[in-house]
Amino acid sequence: MAAANGSSDLYSELEVDAFRSLFPLRYHEQHLLKSVRPDARKLGSARDTTVALGAVASADGSALVKIGSTTMLAAIKLEVMTPTVECPDEGSIAIEFYMPPICSPLVRPGRPAEAASVISQQLSDTILSSGMIDLKELCLVGGKAAWMAYLDIYCLDADGALFDAALLSAVAAFSHLNIPVVSLNDDGRIVLVSDDNVLLKLEKEPVNTEKRKLKLNSPPFSLTCILHKNYILADPTAEEESIMETVVTVVLDSSYQLVSLYKPGGPVLAHTSVIQDCVALARLRLKELQNILNEAISDMEID
Amino acid sequence: MAGKTGSTPTTYSPSPATRKKKRIPIADADWARPDNRGFYQCRPAYLRTSAVSTAAGSAYAEFGNTKVIVSVFGPRESKKAMMYSDTGRLNCNVSYSTFATPNRGQGSDDKELSSMLHKTFEGAIILESFPKTTVDVFALVLESGGSDLPVVISCASLALADAGILLYDLVASVSVSCIGKNLVLDPISEEESYQDGSLMITCMPSRNEVTQLIVTGEWSTPKINEAMELCVGACSKLGEVMRSCLKDVVTDLKE
Repeated sequence: MAAANGSSDLYSELEVDAFRSLFPLRYHEQHLLKSVRPDARKLGSARDTTVALGAVASADGSALVKIGSTTMLAAIKLEVMTPTVECPDEGSIAIEFYMPPICSPLVRPGRPAEAASVISQQLSDTILSSGMIDLKELCLVGGKAAWMAYLDIYCLDADGALFDAALLSAVAAFSHLNIPVVSLNDDGRIVLVSDDNVLLKLEKEPVNTEKRKLKLNSPPFSLTCILHKNYILADPTAEEESIMETVVTVVLDSSYQLVSLYKPGGPVLAHTSVIQDCVALARLRLKELQNILNEAISDMEID
Repeated sequence: MAGKTGSTPTTYSPSPATRKKKRIPIADADWARPDNRGFYQCRPAYLRTSAVSTAAGSAYAEFGNTKVIVSVFGPRESKKAMMYSDTGRLNCNVSYSTFATPNRGQGSDDKELSSMLHKTFEGAIILESFPKTTVDVFALVLESGGSDLPVVISCASLALADAGILLYDLVASVSVSCIGKNLVLDPISEEESYQDGSLMITCMPSRNEVTQLIVTGEWSTPKINEAMELCVGACSKLGEVMRSCLKDVVTDLKE
């Protein structure tokens, strides 16, 4: 125990910042003993979250989401494709998640971050399997033309809980999506109908006067928690994620049904009761996120 | 279909039904710019430092529709393969988001802009102040609305200052397009697409030094002189705006 005594003397002499970077685990555990986190949050509470719709002017739907410092910019661009033979009346969605080198000191140009492709896949799985979007709604002309929705999510600042922020930005971007009015021209191509054309009297009727907004069927929301000893820390920061490695991500849809649950290994083996606690936290978070998103949507409608 | 995820079907973005011919600007004096600015007027700019919490320094710049984020990391360890160096190294990278341009792009790195950014700052940063290490300057163009490089450079200069990297002076950058007989300051994409020539200056206003000058296209000597004076004047004004942006942060902190 001599070594322990020696190091405890060292602890008392250190300044807080130095202690934090030299003994990060001790630093966090001492906070956890008092049921508080270094940023003054309670263990189960998430950081301040904001949603701003329509951040990208050149996109058909977009959203900027901030959870604490973690920032995500999601944009949807609609393009026209020929539907597949198997599903002639369905459109398609392509989801890509990017971590450009600006977002974190760990990402270098030329080498895409490993986390980016993992999150990309998780997002696709979650959004496509949750049934939030009926792909039939993306159909324009059965068997001939349908929408291909390219959803690109950029992480602008990576400070933990990337999946939660990315999923929220994806849902927000879809709820902001405005589908342009188009018509089929003589060459069989889809063309935009602008206001000028309406004045000039159309030769061709628009093919989608009604379907201008996508209907979102019970959109999914998620919460990531860190498990460390007996503690459950909701919505971790990048620092917490780097020190305590076991994470659990719970995705619930708006009717509180479980969409997916990830626990990618980690040194802490979770009891069923712990998983249940995580789900309970996710349920609370779901309400918060729904309110935040609805507020953003109603703000948009007033403008 | 061979694999639902593997092969993406070919897609196209729908174009306007009747393509009106764009009005070619007549090179007379009463031609108005698409955004109704004066010829010698810059776009309204919004600048902010410390946009990215995980970076050593960062800045966000918005000039009209051109929106850019720059993060600075370091000084940190150079790559293992690098030889020993008495002076610091500078590493620059500029990339575009997929939604930066009206038609969806690939979101790839722009090698040309990266090297231009590097060359601009090579002479402006006091590299001797961080021997053996590297400073990384990474830029992401969120939306491209014209004059991208000047905006990236000015924004990078703020980010470097925010990171506390020693500079001889803030670097401000402005470009001018020559369209017919007219010179237009800080052109937007549409103006750039039909310009006859373009001139870009990056300079350090308080030292009265130019770090980079790029002239392309068709120019006459008197026009070049006029354009250079116009650019240098705009740079010194932009320099003041950038300086006050940095000062505001400090005064806000004190309060």
